[in-house]
Parts: sequence; C-alpha cells; structure tokens
Amino acid sequence: MASATDVVSTLMVQEFGVDPAAVRPEIPLYELRMDSLALEEFRIIIEGRLEIDLEDVSLTSRNTVGELVALVHSRTLG
Amino acid sequence: MTRPANPPFTAAVTGLGLVTAAGVGTGEVWRNVTRGVVSPSSVGPREELRGLPCDFMYSIGADVLDTAQRLGVAAQRLMDRFSQLAVLAAREAVADAGLDPSAWDSDRVAVVIGSAHGGIPFYDDQHAVLTTQGPRRVSPKIAPLTVVNGAASSVCMDLGARGPSMAVSTACSSGTVAIGTAHQMLRAGVCDIVVTGRAESVCSRLMTASACQMKALSTRCDDPASACRPFDADRDGFVAGEGSGLLVMERPEHARARGARIRAGVAGYGASSDAYAAVAPDPDGRGIESALRTALTDAGATPSDVGHVNAHGTSTVFNDLIEATMLHRLLGSAPLVTSSKAMTGHTLGAAGGIETALTVLALEHQLVPPTANLESLDPRIPVEVVAKAARPAAFDCAVKTSLGFGGHNAALVLTRG
Repeated sequence: MASATDVVSTLMVQEFGVDPAAVRPEIPLYELRMDSLALEEFRIIIEGRLEIDLEDVSLTSRNTVGELVALVHSRTLG
Repeated sequence: MTRPANPPFTAAVTGLGLVTAAGVGTGEVWRNVTRGVVSPSSVGPREELRGLPCDFMYSIGADVLDTAQRLGVAAQRLMDRFSQLAVLAAREAVADAGLDPSAWDSDRVAVVIGSAHGGIPFYDDQHAVLTTQGPRRVSPKIAPLTVVNGAASSVCMDLGARGPSMAVSTACSSGTVAIGTAHQMLRAGVCDIVVTGRAESVCSRLMTASACQMKALSTRCDDPASACRPFDADRDGFVAGEGSGLLVMERPEHARARGARIRAGVAGYGASSDAYAAVAPDPDGRGIESALRTALTDAGATPSDVGHVNAHGTSTVFNDLIEATMLHRLLGSAPLVTSSKAMTGHTLGAAGGIETALTVLALEHQLVPPTANLESLDPRIPVEVVAKAARPAAFDCAVKTSLGFGGHNAALVLTRG
C-alpha cells in the first residue's frame, strides 16, 4: 500500500492542482491554497480513497502538510 | 404623465468571445455559422441521456476543448462546466478588445453573466452520490458550483475584475437581458467596461427527462444533426446545447479614448413580461412586441431602419410562428431573419449572448448567416428567412430578440460600429 505521504501529495497535485515541488512537510496548507473548502473536499476524497474515517479529525489550513500526513497515517494504521 | 425619455446611449462593443458547439473561438464559429452546415460531431447522443425520448444535445467535445489544460486543475475544480465555458469566452473577449487585465482600472470593470440553470450537472451528480453513498460522501461544493452567479464570480476571479458583478436569470432570455442590463449600467456610469453575456451547460438527465415530459424537445433521435430546424415546416421541438457567448462593452468615450476598435454598438434595449403562462408565450406575441418597440424607441430607431433580425427561432412549433408573426407585424417583410440555433443548439440562458455576438459579426461583415436545416419554410411564417447560403446585404441596424419561459421577453437594437 502506498504511504500516507504519497497518497496525500498525489491527491493534492492531481485533484487540487498543487505544484508537486511545493508539497513539503513544513509548509502550511494555506500556502498551497488549500483553504477550508478545499480541506473539506480533501477529507471526503481521501476517506474514499483509503477507506478511512476522518470525520472527527480537526483540519485547518494552518496545519502543515506534515501534520496532515501524520493524521492520515494514524487512521490508516487504526 | 408622459414617460421620461432617456438620452440616446450607444454602448461600444469592443470584444467578442464564443465557445460553442459550432466552434471554439469567434473566427471558427463565424466561419461555420455562415457556412450553415451542421457538423455531425457537434450534436449527438450523450451517455447521461441514454434511453430518454430525446437522448442527444449539442456539445463541445473534449477533443476540441481541454478545459483542464486551459484553466488548470486548481481553478477548474471550483467551477461547474457553465462557469468554465464563461471564463474561456471571457478571456477571448477581453483579449479581442485589446484590454490588459493587469493594467485596467479594475474597480470600473463590471461583469454581468449568468445562466438559466447554473451548475445543474453537478447538482445531478451529487444527488446521485447522496442516494447511493449517503450524506457523508456528498461534496461541500454544491452551493458555490451550482449557483447561477457562479459564472460571473468565476470570471471576476479569473480576470481580476472588481466592479459590480451579478447574474441575470430570466430563463432563455437571460443572455439578452444580461446585455441589456450591462447597457443600462454603462449608461448610468457605474462602470467603464463590462463583460457580459451568458453561459450554459445543461447535460442533466433529470432536466432533460422533464423537458421530454413537457414535449418541448425534438425527438428526432435517428438524425440529431437535422433535428433542430427553425422555421421549417417539419420542426418538432428544440435541441439543447451548451456554450458561452460574451461581449466586452464599454462607455463610448472610454473606448474612443483608448483607441479601441469598435465592432458595433448596442443602441437600445427593451424588456417586458407576458404575465400570461409559466411556459407558453403569449399567443399573439404581445410581450415580445412590446420589448422590441421599447428597444427601438430606446435606440431612436424606426422599424424601417432594421435590416436584419437574429431571431430567437428555437424550432418549436409555437415559438417560431408567434415570433415570426410578431416580427412581420412590427417590422414588415424587409428585414432578413435568421436563427443560428441549428448550429449551436438552444443554449437556453446562453442563447442571447452567443446570438448577440453573431449579430455584431453580421453587422461587421454585412452578411446574414443562413438558418441551417431550413429546407421547407413553414408556409405560415410570413418573414424573409435566410436559408441555404449566407446572404450579403447592406444594413446599419439589426435586432436580437429573445423569449424566456415565464414570459420574460427582451430585445436589443445594434448598430454598425
């Protein structure tokens, strides 16, 4: 199975048009123009892709890419 | 008490943008429309409509228009298709006008675009998600993508236009009412430049199923390319189409001061309401006649000035008869009448935008496009309808008429630039 990092960065590039070179762990999501609407859309896409449940996870555009990957990773392990 | 007379005002049309089933880009659309031959690739069955009494529509193939490549994924994901078509037409119109969005006074640039149905395909998709997968899988983007003002806000974002913006929604007369509203905004001085017209893309199984129940659509499924045949004795209903037609209009002083090429003028606008029925037009065409009279008065024109009419001409039995009878009553038999709907499909809210752009081109080229698929004129149609081949003619004044469900009528008077 692809790592959480791969899935997150692939989705951001393919579905949200983010520059692949910009997807780095320390970058806050708002710098990638992942605003609150984009994050809610991202949530349902990645839930479907990985068959996980992120409903109770708090996501804001101030989170970094690394924090988002960690959240997704923790759910895929569960 | 007499009505106040508006001082005459002719808005300058300085740019055109067309994204239609008859072609992408104004040059290609005009070549195809004046040739008057319906391309089989422009109209045909759609998977979404399979099994319906009318299973076809006019659309723009992915092979001729790659929206993701043109718009980029990040922008495209925030637009349903009607907004995407609007943004592409707006870019063409602004470039055609010789305007630079990085240099204009953006607070003085208005955008008046909309559509009859907005993002109904996305609404359809997401309703299917709701019923098959449940509410937790529904997209959070239904409101921003489906509202009819989605096209206007998308164009504002894409161009950086920061003046007043709005959608106008009056069913199938939306495009003509939008341009009329833009004319009034320029006249009132609330902006210097306005990007205006309409966009529509209604490949929706639900909407098409309903329109079939209404018996409004052609059911000529065995020959889609000949199904839309305005003013023809064998017409049997309209055929939907997707597309966008936008104009850049300016206050004439503004256009002159920057040395812009003025392609035509919008000299008069009139609108009226039938107050008669939800769908059927007033059987005597009194509403559209009133709109056209108002537009002529607004332009300071008389019926004998009108050399060309780009008609609503939907290919339904009633619209074409009522409209043509009204045109004859008011304008006589001299004007050369055409309908371009067999080339583009009935783009519903977008019709007036695309067809006003074609009227501008007719004035420029002094050439009236033929009504495609018109083989045998309905003998009850009393006006001169151009058929078979484009007809050169000398005219300084042309008219665009539109009628919308709900009895919304609108007319524009255009003059040579």
